[in-house]
Amino acid sequence: MEIVVFFISAVIVLSGGIGVVMAKNPVHAALFLVQTLFGMAVLFILQHAHFLAAVQVVVYAGAIVILFLFVIMLLGVDKAERLDVDPIVGQRLVAPLIGLLLFAGLMAVLVGATEFTDWSWSARFGDFGVDTELNGRPGAEAPIATDRPDVNQLGERLFTDWVFAFEITALLLTIAVVGAVVLARRITGELEPIPEAEDLWVRSRPVAADADGDDAVADGEDVADGDDAGDAADEKADA
Amino acid sequence: MLDLLAQAAQPEFARPRIDWFALSPELVLLSLGALLTLLDVVFAERAKAITSAIAGLGLVGVIIPLVAVWTRVNDGDVLYAFAEKKPGATDPVGLEHYVIDEYAIVMKILFVLVGYVVVLLSTNYVAEGDYWESEYYGLLISSILGMVVMASARDLIGIFVALELLSIPAYLLAAWRKRDKLSNEAGLKYYLMGVFASAVMLYGMSLLYGTTGSTLLVDISKAVGGRESSSIATLGIVFVAVGFAFKVSAVPFHNWAPDTYEGAPTPVTAFLAVASKTAGFVALLTLVYVGFWGRGDVYEPLMWFLAAASMTIGNLLALRQTNFVRMMAYSGVAQTGFIIAPLAVAGNGDIADAALSTTVNYLAIYAAMNLGAFGVLIALARKTRSAEISDMRGAFHYAPGLTAVMTVFLFSLAGIPPIGGWFAKFRVFSVLVQDDSVSGYLLAVVVAVNSVIALYYYASVARTMWADEAPDGDLTPVNVPPSLVAALGITVAITLVFGILPSVVGDFTDVSLLAGG
Repeated sequence: MEIVVFFISAVIVLSGGIGVVMAKNPVHAALFLVQTLFGMAVLFILQHAHFLAAVQVVVYAGAIVILFLFVIMLLGVDKAERLDVDPIVGQRLVAPLIGLLLFAGLMAVLVGATEFTDWSWSARFGDFGVDTELNGRPGAEAPIATDRPDVNQLGERLFTDWVFAFEITALLLTIAVVGAVVLARRITGELEPIPEAEDLWVRSRPVAADADGDDAVADGEDVADGDDAGDAADEKADA
Repeated sequence: MLDLLAQAAQPEFARPRIDWFALSPELVLLSLGALLTLLDVVFAERAKAITSAIAGLGLVGVIIPLVAVWTRVNDGDVLYAFAEKKPGATDPVGLEHYVIDEYAIVMKILFVLVGYVVVLLSTNYVAEGDYWESEYYGLLISSILGMVVMASARDLIGIFVALELLSIPAYLLAAWRKRDKLSNEAGLKYYLMGVFASAVMLYGMSLLYGTTGSTLLVDISKAVGGRESSSIATLGIVFVAVGFAFKVSAVPFHNWAPDTYEGAPTPVTAFLAVASKTAGFVALLTLVYVGFWGRGDVYEPLMWFLAAASMTIGNLLALRQTNFVRMMAYSGVAQTGFIIAPLAVAGNGDIADAALSTTVNYLAIYAAMNLGAFGVLIALARKTRSAEISDMRGAFHYAPGLTAVMTVFLFSLAGIPPIGGWFAKFRVFSVLVQDDSVSGYLLAVVVAVNSVIALYYYASVARTMWADEAPDGDLTPVNVPPSLVAALGITVAITLVFGILPSVVGDFTDVSLLAGG
């Protein structure tokens, strides 16, 4: 049973992955990505990681791909990239070659590392990860205890062993939001000139009439921006 | 009611004991970043005048808890930030996820000092270029927090989260000059390359976890060390190391550096070239000395290749640059090679500690001299508004002080005695020779040859500044603000002291990871 489910979902995952790369239309590529992510969710369930499977569907297939679609739609689907010119000469020849090399290398390593003692079908595919020991050591499946739901176990680990990494991740998300807001904010209205060398030079001298009153007008709606440049420009005008 | 809830939870959840004292530097930094962001929300425009002062003072303030913790770990003790009470045991056992030892504290102090100098470099640059000030310093502080966390992280998850915490603010800061297309390009390139490197590294980490069953570096060390060939673990080690090779811009993973350095605001460039690179090295050192210890057969050839390629290719490309920042980017690639070189012989147990302290020593000196060189560039660019080497012609005639200071930094980078950089290179050379192996001697030869090549381009910048005529005979002096003077003073002092009195400061960087790991 397990093996059948595995092969079906593996086919779904791989065909989805190939579809993402091959699809001409970016919307189709995004939809192929959903297919891959669903296949992965099934694989997670197969490994008794129910929580991960749910998160996979809700966060990745649900939220992230929808965001992709938003961006694609906003940028315009019809604007196709020109594919007939290579930005780097020979790129299109070399890329698949390197890809194939990497694939062959990975396969060689994987096959070389897997020391099958019994080459029968059931030994190879019957029990995942248990019989196919890598270098004599059990795989990473050990800590999962089956007597408790994996949500409990995950939560316990998150708030004991990895509590610090967990909190740091929270900070990371906050920072990403702050930075994204700053970078994505559109500057409207007249731009203040970036000060020239003379402005900096003038600034360092005592200025007779400080033109503070103009700043609010000059800065317009962009309050976090342009105060000093405004000063510099004003002083230049005064001079 | 609470009792009922507690009984219902099976098995009982035990809160880990947290050593707040050991965590105090991180907490102060975190509060500082939050304070800067909140100041902007509450006071809006009025806060702008003080944000950079608060950021600088706060970073100086972080030194206090850092030194307090340092006194506790100075004699080889190790503090565990988190401890767990195992069933049956009486005392809680320290968790190996987050370890504060002398190595970690020394690196944390280095990061905070670098952060302080970067704040000094940024003060006028950011204010005069009308960039988003409070967010700028908030992001800078959180990036430094990520580096401080990286110094203590001893498991794959912690290292990865710390890497992202230090990288994501850096991606954003590289694109901070929003109106400048070059800056946008810098941020985008840095981001795409960084994410690609993270993906490669995560794949390596998953392979390591898959074969060893643990994310803790000490457990990984037990599992992969000492075994004869295990190809999956080897692949994992290589991928993780490659991920950090991107971060430290080692050849062949250096392509992003020149464009990013050129486009980013200059203080951010200095931050990327020094702090971000040092953080990558800290992670590499921790991984090599704690995680992959015993697998010298895997990482030594890799480090050898990275070191030799970075030195040679970085230097050869630096020779052809006409822009000072691009030249510094390639020179940084070459310096990366020098810093990696000791790792190529780190597997030799007799000199492992020497190789570690050599690397830490180089990182400290590299930080001072590189920040200083960028500081002089920022000061000169206040007049020239350019980073082209040709625009630095005749700087001696209108800015003799800056020219002299720049010469110190350039000669230090080139490794001319008796300046700091010379001492750093000498130690690298001696550790390579001490290994007494063919690969060690070969790499020592590469180091020597490259030091000579590097001298050419560093000296030619110095010659341009001293000997040529100023463009258009314009001799108006450069107006250097006090914060830049302070930054240059600190960096010059450190560069010179490391060269003239190496024994005094050498103790600072004499650390060991093997005792704890």
